Amino acid sequence: MRVNPNMVPDILADLQQSQSTLNTTLQEVSTGKSVTEPSDNPSASAQMVQNGIETANVDQYTQNITDVMTTVQTAASALSSVASSLTQAVSLGTEGANGTNSSANLATLAQQVQSILASVVSDANTSVEGTYLFGGTVSTTLPYTADSTSPTGYTYNGNSDVNSVAVGDDLNVPVNVPGSQIFSDSSNNVLGALSSLVSALQSGNSSQISTATTAVSSAVNLVSQQQGFYSNAEGRLNAQETVLQQDTVTLTSQQNNLIGVDEATAATELSQAETDNSAALAAAAKVLPNSLLNYLTTPT
Amino acid sequence: MGGLNTALSMGLQSLDATQAALDATSNNIANANTAGYTREVTQLSENAEGLTGGAIIGGGVTLNGIESVRDELLNLQIQQQTSQQSSADTESSSLQSVQTLFSSTGSDIASTLAAFSSSLAQLSANATNTSAQQGVLTAGQNLAQSFNATANGLTSAQSAADQQVTQTVGQINSLTQQIAQLNAQLSPSVVSQQNGGTIEDQRDQLVQQLSQLTNVSVTQSSDGEVITTGNGTPLVMGGQSYNLQTTTGSSGFQQVLDSNGNNITSTIQGGQLGGAIQVRDQVIPGFLSSLNTLATQFASSFNTAQEAGYDSTGAAGQAFFSVPSGSAGAAAGLSVALTSGSQIAVSSDGSSGSNGNIANLSAALTTTLPSGQTPANAYANIVYQVGSAVSTANAQSTALGQSILQLTNQQSSVSGVSIDEETTNLIRYQTAYEAAARIVSTVQALNTVTLDMGATQSY
Repeated sequence: MRVNPNMVPDILADLQQSQSTLNTTLQEVSTGKSVTEPSDNPSASAQMVQNGIETANVDQYTQNITDVMTTVQTAASALSSVASSLTQAVSLGTEGANGTNSSANLATLAQQVQSILASVVSDANTSVEGTYLFGGTVSTTLPYTADSTSPTGYTYNGNSDVNSVAVGDDLNVPVNVPGSQIFSDSSNNVLGALSSLVSALQSGNSSQISTATTAVSSAVNLVSQQQGFYSNAEGRLNAQETVLQQDTVTLTSQQNNLIGVDEATAATELSQAETDNSAALAAAAKVLPNSLLNYLTTPT
Repeated sequence: MGGLNTALSMGLQSLDATQAALDATSNNIANANTAGYTREVTQLSENAEGLTGGAIIGGGVTLNGIESVRDELLNLQIQQQTSQQSSADTESSSLQSVQTLFSSTGSDIASTLAAFSSSLAQLSANATNTSAQQGVLTAGQNLAQSFNATANGLTSAQSAADQQVTQTVGQINSLTQQIAQLNAQLSPSVVSQQNGGTIEDQRDQLVQQLSQLTNVSVTQSSDGEVITTGNGTPLVMGGQSYNLQTTTGSSGFQQVLDSNGNNITSTIQGGQLGGAIQVRDQVIPGFLSSLNTLATQFASSFNTAQEAGYDSTGAAGQAFFSVPSGSAGAAAGLSVALTSGSQIAVSSDGSSGSNGNIANLSAALTTTLPSGQTPANAYANIVYQVGSAVSTANAQSTALGQSILQLTNQQSSVSGVSIDEETTNLIRYQTAYEAAARIVSTVQALNTVTLDMGATQSY
């Protein structure tokens, strides 16, 4: 059997092969990625589409939680201020109803309750960055405005709708309670109860004052129920934030599994490829110039 | 009884034969690196021996000619595999430019779809914020643009493949004409082995080049080689070549016609031509059609969600995306129909602060389209198909490259020039030539001795 005398194609193929491996491993080490184009790993590239979308969403959901948390906490503190105002009004009412007050005292009490009413209305009109928190989904209009025709002296301009914010795939957390459920529901009416207490104190009728004070007490209950909603929402948001942090870890590790490289393996492969390439070059340099002519003496 | 002249004529024959062998050796050395050259060996045979007076005397040597050493079967296998590899290479390089469109570059559909999705999530927390609304609008425009860019990239890769078809047909015609000319030179001179060898080398080299362009079938007939395409369309018959032609087809792409004007485009396989046609007519249209379906269905699904709500002014939502009717060109023509962020239908109840419809908009990105897949999965599927097409073509090319390398090694072991072998032969023939020359000079000396017999003076 005659041996192939031309080693050039073989040597070239070997050199190209080792050069190509060297390029690949070098790229892996320098980019930290084993997949830079779909053909490197079609299936991983396809899975990365979903991973990319989820990663972007999780980042945004986390951002949403931060944004919404401000709103929820502001609303909660507004409600707690309303609750303490109302408690104060109840004690003023109780004081007014004990029948030992002079009319001047009652007038002072009435004034105090009136200012409490004003502060509650101001709380009900709390806004964050121009968005009113207790207007339902009508968030750009002042929820409560003074209205002399209304029995409570105020009109509700909002609606009874609730906004939910996306904080997860298929997870939308309701983030507001419409003012109509806090300050003016069908059985209780916070502003109404306060207005009645003011009128009762002004009239000086003890039984009226007592009735109005009871109404304010039940309004305290209503407000504290809704405070529960906000602390609940805060709890859900915090829990979801933990879930999202976990999701980020999962997505990052999935991404590493799909397209990342193990640094140690990549570095080892790179040094292996370098050795292979040097060996192929050294072999070529040694073998190629060899021929019988090197050993023949020039004929005399 | 042979005289001195018999020895002299045998010496002469020997000089001739050795001279020819030296010629062959020097030609081999000269062409050691010539592409397609097959080594030549001198064909010698001994002459019939003569019987003279009971003694058998050898008749010397005859030079039968110089023959090129080649293995037609190996040539054939190399041609076939070359055309397959060339087809895979063409597909691979065409699709290489296509797959960058689907790589994660930040402006690819996967990235812009992710940005669009997160912009909607952001709007969910800031429904009345104009910059959040503008963010969704911009992200939607970016998404539409990446659909456009991807579709345009696919179309231009298709046009590039189309141009390659025209160019390749031109190259095929030029090669078949040259082969036919060589065939014509070869058939009368086929008796002269040495001459035929060189022309045959050239022709084999041209057929080898031809097989890179398209899959060919080579047979021998009485008037030279017959070359047809893989499906039997004649390209060369003896000294006659048949040109392929191209004409613009109904699709706007070049169709390949045989010399009689029959359309043979769909039957062409292998080689650059087959690869280019495969990419242009099968592979890219497949991707484009998936992308168009995705664009149409996604736009329609998102528009439905948009139309279910109310925009910031309280008006009923209008279509967000505008997509050309008919599914062809949907991805290339996808655009955002809205002109202002306030037109995004965030509200579910008509009040400006409501964000109730944003959940529906976001859901349009994750719900199943009529194709049975979510938009992300439908796109991921296209990415997979593109990546898989490139990696299959690459793997095929590598595997065939290995196989061709082995076949070439085999061919080289049969036909390749070995400098060591030629050097050895050179020494061998040098010695033989010196010996033959010695015969002549010896006979001359003997003749002188013979003539000197009885003469007074020496000759």
